This record gives sequence, C-alpha cells and structure tokens, in this order.
Amino acid sequence: MGLLGMTMPKILQARAWEESRKVAPKAKNVIFLFQFGGPSHVDMFDMKPDAPSEYRSPHGQRRTSCPDIEINERLPELARLMDEVTVIRSVHHKMKNHNSAAYYALSGHAPATDDQRLRDTIDLYPAYGSVVDHLAPSRDTALPTFVSYPHHIGDGSRTPGQFASFLGKRHDPLFIPRDPNKEDFKIPELSLPEGLTLDRLQSRRGLQQIIDQQAHLLDHAAEAQGLDDYYTKALSMLHSPKVRKAFDLSQESSALRDRYGRTTYGQGCLLARRLVEHGVKFSTVYFSRSIGGRSKTDGGWDTHGFDNTRMFPIIEDYHLPITDQTLPTLLTDLKMRGLLDETLVIWMGEFGRTPKINKNASRDHWPQCYSVLLAGGGVKRGYIYGASDKLGEHPTEDPVTPEDLAATIYQLIGIDPNAMIIDTQDRPLPISSGKPIWDVIA
Amino acid sequence: MVRLFTALSVLLGLACTRADTVSFRHDVMAVFSKAGCNNGGCHGNAHGRGSLKLSLRGESPDIDFKALIHSNSSRLLIPDAAEESLLLRKPTLQRRHEGGERFKVGPLEYIPLQQWIASGLPKDAPDAPKLIELRADPEEHVLIGSDNSVHLKVNAHFSDGSKRDVSRWAVYEPSDLIVDIREDGYVTATQPGETTITVRYLHLQRPVRIAYIRSRPNFAWAAPTPANVIDEAVYAKLRRLRMNPSERINDTHFIRRVTRDLTGLLPTQEEAQSFLADTHPRKRDLLVESLLERPAFADFWALKWSDLLRNEEKALDKKGVKVFHSWIRSAFAENKPLDQFARELVTGIGSSYENPPSNYYRALRNPTLRAEATAQLFLGTRLQCARCHRHPYERWSQDDYYQFAAAFDGIGYKIIENKRKDGLDKNSFNGEQLIQVGLERKLKDPRSSKAPKIAFLPIPGMAKQEGEDLAALGNWLTAKDNPLFARVQVNRIWFQLFGKGIVDPVDDFRSPNPPINPALLDALGEEFVRGEFDLRHLIRFIMRSETYQAAAVPNNTNANDSRNCSHAFVQRHDAETLLDSIHQVLGTEAEFTGIDHPLRASQLPGVESVHRNRKPKKDEHFLKVFGRPVRQLNSDLERSNATSLAQVFEMTSGRTLQTLLADSENRLGKFLDDNDSDKELIENLYWTALTRAPRAIEQETMLAHLVAATDRRRALEDISWALINSKEFMLRN
Repeated sequence: MGLLGMTMPKILQARAWEESRKVAPKAKNVIFLFQFGGPSHVDMFDMKPDAPSEYRSPHGQRRTSCPDIEINERLPELARLMDEVTVIRSVHHKMKNHNSAAYYALSGHAPATDDQRLRDTIDLYPAYGSVVDHLAPSRDTALPTFVSYPHHIGDGSRTPGQFASFLGKRHDPLFIPRDPNKEDFKIPELSLPEGLTLDRLQSRRGLQQIIDQQAHLLDHAAEAQGLDDYYTKALSMLHSPKVRKAFDLSQESSALRDRYGRTTYGQGCLLARRLVEHGVKFSTVYFSRSIGGRSKTDGGWDTHGFDNTRMFPIIEDYHLPITDQTLPTLLTDLKMRGLLDETLVIWMGEFGRTPKINKNASRDHWPQCYSVLLAGGGVKRGYIYGASDKLGEHPTEDPVTPEDLAATIYQLIGIDPNAMIIDTQDRPLPISSGKPIWDVIA
Repeated sequence: MVRLFTALSVLLGLACTRADTVSFRHDVMAVFSKAGCNNGGCHGNAHGRGSLKLSLRGESPDIDFKALIHSNSSRLLIPDAAEESLLLRKPTLQRRHEGGERFKVGPLEYIPLQQWIASGLPKDAPDAPKLIELRADPEEHVLIGSDNSVHLKVNAHFSDGSKRDVSRWAVYEPSDLIVDIREDGYVTATQPGETTITVRYLHLQRPVRIAYIRSRPNFAWAAPTPANVIDEAVYAKLRRLRMNPSERINDTHFIRRVTRDLTGLLPTQEEAQSFLADTHPRKRDLLVESLLERPAFADFWALKWSDLLRNEEKALDKKGVKVFHSWIRSAFAENKPLDQFARELVTGIGSSYENPPSNYYRALRNPTLRAEATAQLFLGTRLQCARCHRHPYERWSQDDYYQFAAAFDGIGYKIIENKRKDGLDKNSFNGEQLIQVGLERKLKDPRSSKAPKIAFLPIPGMAKQEGEDLAALGNWLTAKDNPLFARVQVNRIWFQLFGKGIVDPVDDFRSPNPPINPALLDALGEEFVRGEFDLRHLIRFIMRSETYQAAAVPNNTNANDSRNCSHAFVQRHDAETLLDSIHQVLGTEAEFTGIDHPLRASQLPGVESVHRNRKPKKDEHFLKVFGRPVRQLNSDLERSNATSLAQVFEMTSGRTLQTLLADSENRLGKFLDDNDSDKELIENLYWTALTRAPRAIEQETMLAHLVAATDRRRALEDISWALINSKEFMLRN
C-alpha cells in the first residue's frame, strides 16, 4: 500500500516532520555560484594591508559603497554593490582537499574523512537543491525545482554533493552539460534528435497509449501510472513555450548579454536570472569544471603556483575580471527587476587560501578561515559578519561552520533547518546540524 | 497532595518503588520516551537540542542522569522550587519550547518529574529491581470491518518478580500508518492493511502485528489448489485477510516472465510460439529447467551478485574485475551452493588475481567495512548505527559491533604493484595485491581506545562457535543452525524474482520489520537448507508455485494488497534488462568503452569508476540514467528501479533509443523486406517485443499508421518506439 513508493517508516517519519514547525521564508529562490578551487579570501573580501609582506596581497584595497568594507582594488564594479551584500569573514572547517571540502560546501555536511578522491556514494548527503526539491518543491510543475550547469565538478573523481544521493533520482537536478555561451546552447532533454519532430513524438505517444490500454496495467498499478505521468510531463515540457523560453538566452538583449560577459560563467549567471524569473527555485552555477588555477583562460581558483605558474597574474587576468564583470551585473539585474529581495545569491568556494604566500609566490589551501558572500533573499545589506585575525588565519569573532551556512540557507528559503531526511539505512538524518546565523538575516 | 498523586501514579502503573520515591530509571526515563523528548529529532539528537542532550531513545539512563545533574543550566533542575525547573516549564509551554507542548501539568508525566526534582534528584539504588521482560497482548490480531479497535495491554516484568501494567507508558510506533494509537495503547484501524506496532518501554521492545480488513460479508474463499508449501503459506494468510489470489498467467505471459526473471532477456517469437504449441503437461517446469541451464542465467545472476560484491574497477582494477566476475559467474554456472560461495568469499585471501574471491576483501579496506558488509549481505543485518550508538530499533550494541569488527581485523594488503593513473587517489588500485591475514590488529574501540576482543554476533538460538579465524567465521556464518543465513538468502532470491522481499527492505532483518509472512519465510529457509543451499533448486521450487505464476491484474478482493503476493508486483525492469531487450527487439548490439566484442549489458563484468572526463557511450549513458549502481556499497538497495523524468526524456528525446531505431542496419529493414503483408509484419513485431499477438484495435491502429505513412520505414520506427515504451515492455508484470 505504498504511497509513491515510499516505504512505510518513511511515510510515518515524513508525516511527523511535516508537522514540525513551519519556517517563514524570506527567499523564494536561490542562485548558488560555486567557486571551485578555493578563491583567496585575503585577496578579495578580507584583505590585510597591514600584514607583513610575506602575507600581504600585492593588490591594494579600495573603498566600497559600504563604509565597513574594503575589497580588492581590482573589483571596482563589485565595490559599487557592497552595500547590497553580506560578507561572512569567519567561515572555517577542517577539510583540506577539494573533493571533501567541496562536498561539505555543496551539502552542508562534513565527510567522514578528508579524502582527496572522496567517492560519490549514496550514503553521502544530497545537494542543497535536491533537499529543496524534496521538502519544498516549486509549485509550478512545468519547470524543475533544481537546475545545475554547465558541468559536473570533480577533482580526479566526481565531487559528491551535486546530486540527490539517497533522496532518489527524482530529486536530481535537471543537469545541463552544455555551455550557455555557445550559440547553439540547448537543453539536451528539450531538443529533439535529428529526424524527430514534436508531431512525430505526439503520434508515437498515441500509439503507445493504444498498447497501454490493452494490458490494464495503468488501471491498477501505481508504478505504471507514475511512469505514464512522466510521459505526460515530458511531452508537455517539450511542447511548452514557457519552458523553452526559460532556457532561451537569445531572448535577452545583446547589450545585456555583453554586460554579463560573453563567457560560460557570464551567460550561466544570466541563465540563472532567467530561471528565477520562470520559477526555478534553486539554480547552481559552477564557475569551472576543475580546480584549475594554472591558466588565464579557464579553470577554477586553485592557484598554488604549480608548474611554474604564478597566482597573481592569473587571477588578475582571469578570475577577478570575470567575477567583477558578472557578479555585479547579476546583482544589479536582479535588483532592477525587483527579484533581489526574493532571491538569495550565494557566492562561495570550498575554502580560502593560505594567508602566507608560498615559495611560488602563490597561495595554498586554507579551510581554517575564509569568506563567503551572500546577497538578497532576506540577508542584510552592507553587512560584515565575523572577523579574522590580523593575518586572516583564524576567525576571531563569530566563527561560522558550513553546517551553520546550511542552516541559514534552509532557514532563508523557508525550510526548517532541523527537518529530517531518511537515508538508505532508513535512518532519520537532520538536513543540517548547524544553527542559522540569525545576525545576517535582515 | 503528593500522596494523592502517588496513589494515582501507582494506579496508573508508575514504577515508584517506594510510596514517596520516584525511580529515575523507570519513571523519569519512561516520561522522556513517552513524551518524545529523547527522539532523534529532539534532545536525542547527536548534538542535543538547546542546552539539553539526552541519549537517543533513552538508551543510556546513566549518561542521561549525569547529563541532567551536571547540566550547565542552573535553571534546568531546581529542587527547592521544582515547579520553576525548565525541565517542567518548557515541555508544558510555561516557557517557550521549540518542541511545543509535550505534556500538561497533571498527574501523569508532570508529577513524576516534579517529584523526582523536589526529592533532590535521587539516583536509583544499585539493588533496585531491573526491567527484564516486556509482554504485549495481543501480539497478533486481525481486525475486521466494524470491529476496528483493540486495546493493547503491555506488562513489564521486573527482576524482583513484580509485574506492572505499563500500557500508558509504552511508546507505540506503527510501521504503516493505517492505525491511530491512543497513548494508553488503544488501537483503532483507519484503513485496510497491515502494520507492525513496535511497543517500546525503557530498553525493551516487542512487535505487535495488526491487520485490518474490510468485512466483505460476501467473501468466498476460492479454494485454489496449492502447488506446494509456498502456496500453502501464502494462501493461509490471504484467506485470513479475506483475499483471493489473482488468476494464473497464461503460457505466453509465463514464458515472458520466467525468461526475463531468469536471464534478463525476452523469449524469441519462435520460443514463445513453440512453447504455446507444446502439449506436455509439465511444460512450464521443463521450460524453467531449460532456462536454468542457459549461459544467460549465469550471466544474469552474476550481474546481481557483482552489484552486491562491489565489483568495480577503481578498487579492483580492470583485470581484477574480470577475474572476480568470471569467478562469480562460474559459481552460478556450476551451481555452487550459496553457503560455499559465502564461505569462499569471507575466507578469500592470497593473490587478488590468482584467487578471485579475495577481491571481496580487496574492496573492503578496513575491519568495520568488512564487518558491516558481511552482516548486511549474509545476515540481513544493518550494523552501521551501532558504530556510534545502540541500534535504536535492534538489539546490537556497540560492544557487539566492535567485537564483530575485530573478527575482520589483522587483514592486510601486500601491494605487489600499483599502476594507478591518479597517484593521489587512495581508493584507486591498479595491479596485483596479496590479501593477508594474521597481521597486527589495529582496530580500537573508540570508547575505550582498547582493542576489542573477537566475538561473532550473538544471534539467539545459535550454538557457540569454536575458533576465531576466518574459517570459523565462515562456518558460523553459513551454519545450518544460523537462523539468519538461509532466511536472508531465500529472501533475497524471492526479492529478485518478485521485486519485493518477504522481509523488505531485503537486507533489514529486525524485530520491528518482521517478515510479511513468517511461515513462508520459514518454509523457504527450510527448503533451502534441505536442498544444501542450492540456488537452482530453490528457484524451481518458487517458480512451480501458483503464487509465482499469479497475474499482476488484481481481482475484486486483492487490489489493495502490495505485500502478500496475491498478485504480481509491478516494477520497472533493471537497466540492463531494458537495454538488452531493446537491442534484442531491434537486432542491434550495445557498445561499451574498452570492449570490442559483442556483449550484452548484463554480461558486463564491472562498472567503470565515475570519472569527470569520460564521455560515456550512449548505451552506458542509458544504463546510468536507468539506475545501474556504481557498486560502492554492499547493498541490494544501491540499484534503483525507480522511474524518473530523466528516464522518460531518455526514451523520448534522448539519443540512445532514437539512434537505434534509425540505425539502417537494424532489424526493421528486414522486417519490411521479409514480411508478405503489413498484417504479418505487425504480428511478428508484437511477438518479438511483447510476446503476444496484437489485439484487433492494435492491429487496426498500427496498420492505419503504416498505410498512411509516406515513409514506411519511419512509420515502423514509430510503432517500434511505441512497443518499447509500452508499460508491458518497461515494467515487470
């Protein structure tokens, strides 16, 4: 007598937790901008101009629209918008490897071991977006609740925390492994292969329905009905102008597309805004596929200075300009459309970078203290939370864990941070084991 | 006042040992459980809640006692003004409480807590009577129609011989939400079905099974003739529940079902039609017999066990995956008894290339992983919870956990070669290893930091085992008097043939999750032991039963049944079965990375490790979307047969099926050329895909589609698409 295939204890527990208190949401949508590789906090949002030279950033600071914060001089556009954001300067944890730290950042849960090649198994926690899809899906069913793109991230093996894990495949994101900066950008699922038209598909569906009427499976088997509902939904998505439009970047003016930046990341952020407008609740944009850090044309923030590369020329020419072009454009665009108040934007990596400059004139991994930027969706404007010591090595005020960030995100989007989900062992597990940072909530 | 309440308390079953003392262990702890304070979502959480942390479901009264007495909050317990204590004010909502109101000010929960606080937080005397047994009455009950309620009586028996009615203090947790349960144990059924109510009081629990059925005054038992003890057990239960089993499936349906269940393939048109024409009275038995001898049977069952044994390339490497798969496959080809199979795995040491079963431990790199996997695979026991706390629904303690894990300690690896591409990946191995035993034991019980002594799990009813080495472990695990081993294996086989276990989830044997039909499980277990753990024998035995041969279509008495096998359970086929069937219909071959000869999906030896840069071929992409497991857990549940929107997109707008349909080399061209008439063509295609002739309306519709088409080839692709996407094709039924 299973309901939607849940096993009974799950229904029981699900019901019990539905009754747990409701949380008033501040944000309707989330845009999660994940900066894989680990951006340097001490060269962006937590600079230490008075630190000794072996620590100090070669870049200067500039004043911003928020009197309490100065940021890297190479982020002039972002500087104008600092009165819109909250910067948390005291995030810390213990995971020194990309996969384990990124899983932590993407799920809010620490892995059991700090494993460089942490394996993606269904006993690990799901992505934030999958939890949202499970506990508070979008009302409008034409569009998915959770969309992610333009690639999986991985460091040697696929980073866990990007999919639904034990919540089940139906809570996976609609994942788009395509570059939104390409002219022919399309959603694979919504684009028909050669030789197939919507009419032809509709006629196939008609034939299928004749066959299905014979076996009477649809009359009595919930599994058959559920499968048939997916056919109805898939066809309606394929037919729907709204769904097509949500992903159609050609609807945007060329000027606006230029402002976001004609890069994978720039157009990805523009797509995120379109998705918010069309009712997608959680969009995850990965800045890069890999940890990168050795190139001025692609890759993430992992600037160790390996292979005789150097961190600062790379971020000066690549990471900082892209960030300064795209992030402020996104925030401004959301604001102008009246969407910023209801859209939580999260900008974060898996850790910061060593405050002390290494022998390659670069910086290594530093999870002990780093910065996260939040904007919109009910967080304070022009606010600094937490502080680090004079070198940026450790939090000195209000330390924050990834668990607390998770609780804050759930709280903001109206999900009880203590809500439970059931893993493959039928164990009830809290979606977050941290505490919301009440002080960053407006 | 106090005296009045005390008198009341005695009446209500409170375990006050003296008229004026409240027992912490018996009264206060019972309140914490009854009011839900120590649930996992509340103060029983690993981090507690607010400033109060209690042990999960009251597993550790001593720790809770200390935690309360030494609380940081001076206002939690105020003996001089007990009513002011937060422990009383919060749950009664006299102060804000995140958990809401747990109880009211009054004689039941409130007074024992208040008395305990007011009397100075006394500790129980060391010689205070201990709870030794819990009994619930009735333990099994069928409710019918308007007779929809029963009052459970729960009695606690103490070490001093005393007995108390604790119905009001026990916690009642139903597995299925078909009943309302009042706090005093009065159960009212709300909808037909079955449920197991776990009745818990302090550290003990009892399962109570309740079934509620419609009165069905006109119900007449159809008195079908049982083919064997399987049917006897199933029918006995069905009759009690006033349900008749569904009809027996016809011959074509039978050959389709058994061929897919045993080999993951479709019967060919010729096979099906000649089976239909066969007049042998035992032709169904003979068909099963012949399928069991096919190589595809060994392929298909090796696939199931390769999932369970983590046969994947990252840990075992390409060669290892092949040798392990071929060892597993030959075990099924040669019909190796499953007890021997299990013993060879748990005693498998030496070269991972020369002695394939040693790959079992090659994939399990530490003692706790080995213990957890072995318990889950062979004993249907999930030990993971007991790593950190007493299993909340089960008997296993942390001692049991670490002592069992100790049996797998001292196993190590001599890495002869490791050519892994990614030197940083500690989970990746490429090259031969020697699995060694008798090495230094490193496992420590984290609570004591000492090495635990070796002990196998204390399974009730089992003789004590001599010896501690792996051979002794294997003998203990597979002993005929091990009540779990045979039952877990037959339950898994039943699950693989029916889509649901008699115990379900299939690897979760524990008292709150009892078998839906204990007599059935016992009968199968006995048959399996009698047959010396012979898989084929058990499959034959099951397939001969009327129960296995029941249709999926329900009758007017059994539509609500999903567990008692009154009709077949409808579920999506495995990824490999679907893909292989599609290729079979279209006469195409799957392509897999690194494999240059024809191979069906169900014959793939391993799974490639998930890698970011790999471009999967279309067939591999299909398998992933349809839930082929990555084999990183030793669990039947890692494979997913759930349906999803992504799967339907894969079938409609995805490239796999469309590419195969449009492939000019596929069988559709031949279908067009070889058939004399359109009618014949459609008939043959139906037999190929659905193992049946088209009905009149289907014949008519498909013909019209073909005739109206300007491009007959494209029209045939459409019809094939519709057949492959039909529920009959995609779902086991």
